Amino acid sequence: MHEWALAEAVVSTVERLYEENGRKTVLAVNVLIGELQHIEMEVFSVGLENILAGRPFSPDVFHFEIEKAAFRCNACKGDWLLEQHTDLGEEEREAIHFLPEAAHVYMRCPFCGSPDFGLEKGRGVSIKSVDLQELCDD
Amino acid sequence: MIDPRLDVIGKRLEPVKRIIAVSSAKGGVGKSVCAALSALAFGEGGYQTGLLDLDFQGASAHLLLDVQLDFPEEESGIKPLRAGNSVDFMSFAAFSREHAVPLRGSDVSQAMLELLAITIWDPLDFLLIDMPPGIGDEILDALRYLRGLEFLVVTTPSRVVLHVVERLLAMLSELKAPVIGLVENMVRPGSDSAAAALAEKYGTALLGSLPFEERIDDILAEGANGAPLSGDLGHSIRSITDRVAAFRA
Repeated sequence: MHEWALAEAVVSTVERLYEENGRKTVLAVNVLIGELQHIEMEVFSVGLENILAGRPFSPDVFHFEIEKAAFRCNACKGDWLLEQHTDLGEEEREAIHFLPEAAHVYMRCPFCGSPDFGLEKGRGVSIKSVDLQELCDD
Repeated sequence: MIDPRLDVIGKRLEPVKRIIAVSSAKGGVGKSVCAALSALAFGEGGYQTGLLDLDFQGASAHLLLDVQLDFPEEESGIKPLRAGNSVDFMSFAAFSREHAVPLRGSDVSQAMLELLAITIWDPLDFLLIDMPPGIGDEILDALRYLRGLEFLVVTTPSRVVLHVVERLLAMLSELKAPVIGLVENMVRPGSDSAAAALAEKYGTALLGSLPFEERIDDILAEGANGAPLSGDLGHSIRSITDRVAAFRA
């Protein structure tokens, strides 16, 4: 349930932007969820709803997009996706769920076996954009 | 793209009164030993104490304190593990176990931010951070993200080590980062050291010296299992932690 900690982080950012921008109405919060972290969306959403209680943002303005995790090997320049790693055990997936950088501990380049690879996209939770209501003169 | 973790780290560390980075620009001087001994000594003294091992690639504090590496319990984040009777503990090793951790700098920063954002610390008097050697990503990120961070700098009597440690002191001085003082580790009887002069040069204090101790691994494991830190080593580390506790930036 550490998804709640990440949901709280998202709300903290929205809250900061809301305050910094004169408490304009928040119309949309676009959240990118990286596949690598194996976030349980139901747990994340329940956490978000709980954290939002008593705050001036509706859960309905939060939109989620799942981003596939993609890797590139620094040694052989091979590219691959997380779904190609069918060899990961439950404990290894759990470790990566807690701390996505554990991928470097348990995964290797499927082409050359190198541990020296980069995560191109799809790591964890980030905010793509926050849309605030523009104030009109009339 | 906005990283939401940056907005919650301050809140996560609100229950912590003081955050102390146990650092040295040189490897092999005993940072982890000093951090572990200090954590035990603070615990013995009745302080609520935490230890965060940020030396991801060379994580060893769990070995020194005989910590059982299970996945942390989850509540509204992850709960620290327990080191002995009195120290709350978190480390990358909880997830990597005894495997190698081949991380590049940006991955180190990401992992550090994640641990800071999701670890739910209970109220602590002291959170000690076992830093990796050098002046790399961890120390720069710690300076950036941990408000009020103080430094406890570890050296040995070696001239070479003192030279390298001076670079860290110079940088911390330039950044106006609070330095509690120097700890001189692995001191043998009759050894001659310029540590006091180095501390004075940078307007800080030599807080004390720790004797070279053949049985250090056993002493730490015994301490983690409840035995009080005894002998010269126990006396020395208590004297140092008393001075750390009394320090005001």
